[in-house]
Amino acid sequence: MTDSSRKILILGVGNILYADEGVGVRAVERLLETYDFSDNVTLMDGGNLGMRLMQPLMDSDYCIVLDAVLGGDQPGTIYRFTGDDLRKSLAFKDSMHQSDLVDTLIYCELVGKRPETVVIGMEPYDFKNMSIELTDIVADRLPAMLDIALKELAEAGGIATPKA
Amino acid sequence: MAETNPTPQSTFTGPLVVDPITRIEGHLRIMVEVENGKVKDAWSSSQLFRGLEIILKGRDPRDAQHFTQRACGVCTYVHGLASTRCVDDAVKVNIPANARMMRNLVMASQYLHDHLVHFYHLHALDWVDVTNALKADPVKAAKLAETIAPARPGNSAESLKAVQDKLKAFVETGQLGIFTNAYFLGGHKAYYLPPEVDLIATAHYLEALHMQVKAASAMAILGGKNPHTQFTVVGGCSNYNAMSKDALANYLSLTQEVCKFVNDVYIPDLLAVAGFYKDWGGIGGCTNYMAFGEFATDESTPEKHMESSFFPAGVIMNRDLGKVDKVDLGAIYEDVKYSWYKPGADGLHPYDGVTDPKYTKLDDKDHYSWMKAPRYKGKAMEVGPLARCFLAYAKGQPEFKKIIDTVLTKLSVPATALHSTLGRTAARGIETAIVAAKMETWIKEFADSSAKDNTLCAKWEMPGESKGVGLCDAPRGALSHWIRIKDKKIDNFQLVVPSTWNLGPRGAAGDKSPVEEALIGTPIADPKRPVEILRTVHAFDPCIACGVHVIEPETNEILKFKVV
Repeated sequence: MTDSSRKILILGVGNILYADEGVGVRAVERLLETYDFSDNVTLMDGGNLGMRLMQPLMDSDYCIVLDAVLGGDQPGTIYRFTGDDLRKSLAFKDSMHQSDLVDTLIYCELVGKRPETVVIGMEPYDFKNMSIELTDIVADRLPAMLDIALKELAEAGGIATPKA
Repeated sequence: MAETNPTPQSTFTGPLVVDPITRIEGHLRIMVEVENGKVKDAWSSSQLFRGLEIILKGRDPRDAQHFTQRACGVCTYVHGLASTRCVDDAVKVNIPANARMMRNLVMASQYLHDHLVHFYHLHALDWVDVTNALKADPVKAAKLAETIAPARPGNSAESLKAVQDKLKAFVETGQLGIFTNAYFLGGHKAYYLPPEVDLIATAHYLEALHMQVKAASAMAILGGKNPHTQFTVVGGCSNYNAMSKDALANYLSLTQEVCKFVNDVYIPDLLAVAGFYKDWGGIGGCTNYMAFGEFATDESTPEKHMESSFFPAGVIMNRDLGKVDKVDLGAIYEDVKYSWYKPGADGLHPYDGVTDPKYTKLDDKDHYSWMKAPRYKGKAMEVGPLARCFLAYAKGQPEFKKIIDTVLTKLSVPATALHSTLGRTAARGIETAIVAAKMETWIKEFADSSAKDNTLCAKWEMPGESKGVGLCDAPRGALSHWIRIKDKKIDNFQLVVPSTWNLGPRGAAGDKSPVEEALIGTPIADPKRPVEILRTVHAFDPCIACGVHVIEPETNEILKFKVV
């Protein structure tokens, strides 16, 4: 299998009702508005994480997750880490979610197909107040996040063409 | 059937807090006071604020479903459906038969998905010690599997050994992940399954992972996408593609596979595990039950919905199965006396509901939850699978009666044992089997109906001023959305969700919520690992809707991944 035939999933996750919490979903929306993608690339609004995402994850060979990440840095900071790092750095027992992304990836592995995963995350400014808009700080940094995601996509063998 | 084990109990006296309760959606904190090894008092506290009511004000009523579906990562569709139904009611539209059937089919898929996931992946670890499965003898386990699930070939000694090896590798890498969420595993005396049963259950846990993917895929065929279905619209549905022969054939084949698993594996496993934990038939019961009904054949009004539902609607008070009352929608109200809301808004009907937050502090027993306390005629009501089973049983609904009687006979327990944590978990399986048995008929009805006439949506006009209610009996329980429309916009929108009925705080009169009541008398074997609390709380399938899904690393290691 050549790189260009690898099935790539760009998965935006988060809750769009909580301002910057939805940055991953907003990023996917923006990509869909501004680019056309090669046939091996799927973009998906994953909404709130959960086991319902197992099928699209298992359908892909490579997954680029876009999400909000609390890394302790300034709001708007962008992080990149891979699935293995994710596993090391998370404390599962304190997960507030029924099953978070890491759990879902482990479930995929147990079922027999876990895609290689990279996470591009952004430090949120406000993720507690209800708003369907991103805050200015995060909205300003969205293009930088998209650039990184697109670079990641190109390296993985996907092609994004700006819409005319 | 196995001997009933005595419930182990300590002599511990003092307070216990489980925070957060994991393997649920959202953030739930349970506080109890234990006296001489038994729970004497309990407080259920939701730690996440859900302010959907605020964000919806002033918007187009048709948009409500897109917002409410995002409240949660699990039951997105049921909120979409309840919101759509409440606007259907407000604009007085009677949806076409095809739309009613399509909505019901997606709901049926949601039942199959939710209940499978709940039993195996969210609840089983309260009863099954996965790590103990490593001690099992695969040959003995294979023989036992033949008696537990005879219709399921493939539980050979070799395949069970393979599961054991896989599990061992997981344990050795220290990356139990999903299993460590059950933080009470490993040599706890409240777990008393033989290692062989633990191994069989673990093998089926893995199989169920495959099955739930199929159930979710089926849902996406009719729902347009999943999560966050996109096919319900006010007046009916929009996914015309779902009526094609190919789509329906695909939906049918996925559904058949899941239904087979329910019958051949889920139900036998449920009976096997329940057989070892019969003492839980005397722990965790509630008093009053309510259901709004689901799988209706007439959706023209909320009243018709309740009257024509296959899963019956109704109210049972004081465990009296001899008397079923109709639901009076005017008798529902919410209290906020013990919640983090501004005082004085107790006893408001959802049409007049107010969501005005006022947080005090974490350890405040006078105000301790973001949930309101819904009450019906002054009573806390349990909603969900157990309520539905009791109502159907009391009404003599033949499908329910048959399977409930079979389960009671197999476990050799009386019907009163169902007022319990065990009964609640059994009820979930019972109704899954009933939905599974109906699915093919429902799919065929829909295929026949849509082949004759493909009408999927009825015309309607947005009134300047109106109000409406959308009822739903979601897998978790009775759900209602209430809308008031003014100048064609949302003036007030309130959600009264199953988890607030079951897991809310005390009412204005100081009376306990169902989960608070259910926890009283629970034995605690080991105060450091109070798995007994989880058993009862998880049996309600709590969902503190709204999950804030930010990835939150525990260590500073993350900083080295910073790129900009």
